[in-house]
Amino acid sequence: MRNRVFRFSAVTAVLAMTMLPVAGQAPYRAPRGPDGHPNLNGIWQALTGDWDLEGHAARASLIVEAGTLLAEPGGMGVVDGGTIPYKPEALAKKKQNYDNRLSADPVVKCYLPGVPRATYMPYPFQIFQSDKYLAIAYEFDSAFRNIYLKDPGPAPVDSWMGQSYGHWEGDTLVVEVTGLDERTWFDRAGDYHSDALKVTERYTPVAPNILNYEATIDDPKVFSRPWKISLPLYKHAEKNAQLIEFKCVEFVEELMYGKYRKK
Amino acid sequence: MRHGVLTSLAAVAALSAAALAAQTTAGAETTSAKKSWTVPRLADGHPDLQGIWTNATITPLERPGQFAGKATVSDAEAAKFEHQNNDNLYGDRRSADAERDRDHAYNALFFDRGTELARVDGVKRTSLIVDPPDGKIPPLTPEARNRMGNRVRNRFDSVQDRPLGERCILGFGSTSGPPMMPVLYNNNYQIVQTPAAIMILVEMVHDVRYIHMDRREHLPGSVRLWLGDSIGHWEGDTLVVDSTNFTDKTSFRGSSPNMHIVERFTRVENGTILYKWTIDDPESFTRPFSAEYPFRAAVGPIFEYACHEGNYAMPDILGGARAADAKQKN
Amino acid sequence: MRAKLAVLFAAAGLLAAGLPAWAHHAFAAEFDAKRPVHFTGTVTKVELINPHSWIHIDVKNTDGTVTNWMFEAGSPNVLLRRGFNKNTIAVGTEVVVDGYQSKDGSLRANGRDITLPNGQKLFLGSQGTGAPYEEKKEQQ
Repeated sequence: MRNRVFRFSAVTAVLAMTMLPVAGQAPYRAPRGPDGHPNLNGIWQALTGDWDLEGHAARASLIVEAGTLLAEPGGMGVVDGGTIPYKPEALAKKKQNYDNRLSADPVVKCYLPGVPRATYMPYPFQIFQSDKYLAIAYEFDSAFRNIYLKDPGPAPVDSWMGQSYGHWEGDTLVVEVTGLDERTWFDRAGDYHSDALKVTERYTPVAPNILNYEATIDDPKVFSRPWKISLPLYKHAEKNAQLIEFKCVEFVEELMYGKYRKK
Repeated sequence: MRHGVLTSLAAVAALSAAALAAQTTAGAETTSAKKSWTVPRLADGHPDLQGIWTNATITPLERPGQFAGKATVSDAEAAKFEHQNNDNLYGDRRSADAERDRDHAYNALFFDRGTELARVDGVKRTSLIVDPPDGKIPPLTPEARNRMGNRVRNRFDSVQDRPLGERCILGFGSTSGPPMMPVLYNNNYQIVQTPAAIMILVEMVHDVRYIHMDRREHLPGSVRLWLGDSIGHWEGDTLVVDSTNFTDKTSFRGSSPNMHIVERFTRVENGTILYKWTIDDPESFTRPFSAEYPFRAAVGPIFEYACHEGNYAMPDILGGARAADAKQKN
Repeated sequence: MRAKLAVLFAAAGLLAAGLPAWAHHAFAAEFDAKRPVHFTGTVTKVELINPHSWIHIDVKNTDGTVTNWMFEAGSPNVLLRRGFNKNTIAVGTEVVVDGYQSKDGSLRANGRDITLPNGQKLFLGSQGTGAPYEEKKEQQ
């Protein structure tokens, strides 16, 4: 995965820099899909976000034996304004999550990552956009979301990936995500939310093979105001790019059930 | 409070009746409707297979003894079988025998196996397998029998001893397949077509099948996948999906990792895809075999089946076995 | 592995019509037929989750203390399609539940029947649940 990310960043990031629109130019007009809207079909991936949404320096690995392999790279952060506006009482919980992240992060146990985290985990995802459907399949844990294009009404129950309702505003796909299970985190640094979470995502093509991704987080139980992250998503350009099963349940069984092994 | 519950229950009952009525009318299409129906197509000219589909049917994979020699039955004969089956499956499953009573605690409200034998070409089928003509899976090769004999069965020593379905790695009963088999409930699939790939979402364990339309070669043999490597192409109005590269951790009725399966999807009438598959696996089966059954338009929606996250049963099952060990020691 | 399931199932015995009625996991592995339980209590939490739903119930003991039990049901997805939602069985509802306790002795059981005090059966039970086949029979 790491190899893939590096290879990918070396090629695509350079491409990206040369193609980003500069001030004064006409806005980028993306090729159209079968539904007349910008064609989002393809395999996409973020290069930043999952270690910590906020800016941070590099940190040592939590697992001593893993040395630099699992050391945590630094990052500039993707939060508008730099800081997540936690309510004072909620910040303590975030700090506790951070301290216990090696065991407390739900993704450690291969639980579905929720939204928006699935978007910027270090795994690709594939958008399927046809004349009548919009769906996103993620490599990690075969996570999946249908983006309903008609209002499905309130979600009957909460789910790990939530219920997504999308519409187009010009060339931007806007997705409102509700019914999200309260147990997911936003990143590996313990940033979290409650069952009151509502996420509004915006996917906008800004250059060939680049989407700008924004997610507005609204959760009055945990945050003093709505806040926003924004980061680019890059389209995989390898000729043979495809998602490869990452069925991680098998990888965590010993961690979760090893204590029940017959002695 | 109580009143609220009862109102909801009444609403649920009404909903199920409506859903059932919808199912029934979908099954009884008139001849005139069939005549006027044409295959819906996408802009690229290929048939539109998209939508939410169900392969629920009570026709078993292999032909039961009572239908020996009969690949199809009249509607009247089918009705007898259907009544017998449905009374058994959906009727009162309580029992004076405690073990049976415990085992049958899943009840009708959770089931969605359908209530009818599969209908293909207007006629009801007694088995999903159509070749060999006796409707049975061909005999296993000696090598496969040996392989199957060496498998761990019904052991509780560690999580790895338990079936993949119970471990939430795959749906039980080959729901994702291939071949995609009907089971007791949640037999729902969603197809989305894009130029490079056709996606099939399998409700069970939110598995996604990727049918690669942009390459004709399979992945190298070093890449083995739980759902295999699926590549597709069109033969006329039929989507043909060719899958290989399976792991040694799954097996469909004794198949080997080198199983080769070809699936065919054809829109045959309004609200129906005819699904056919052929398994060729000389390492395991003495001859190839084929099945066919319909995928019918379903109302949906497909809900998330986050299995591993809520698998409270696994600690119960393994913990129960360890409790039994401790009891035996004392 | 799939074949293993098939073998397991064959060993468990086929239904009369020869159809597999297996589900996600066998209750036989999890619950003890020698430990039937029967309680009246109030619902404290309803988890409409997969692979199986769980209903949490507070049961008052004779000494005045309260014990929280969990009862296992089926996959909720079919129920959701039939119009159930997270509020269908409200917290605080008084119910009568019977089932079989887990083999490890924890306070968990499979819900065999769940009934309101007036006799109305809720969704774990055997008959009168409003399942589609019963609806169909009533219409005939």
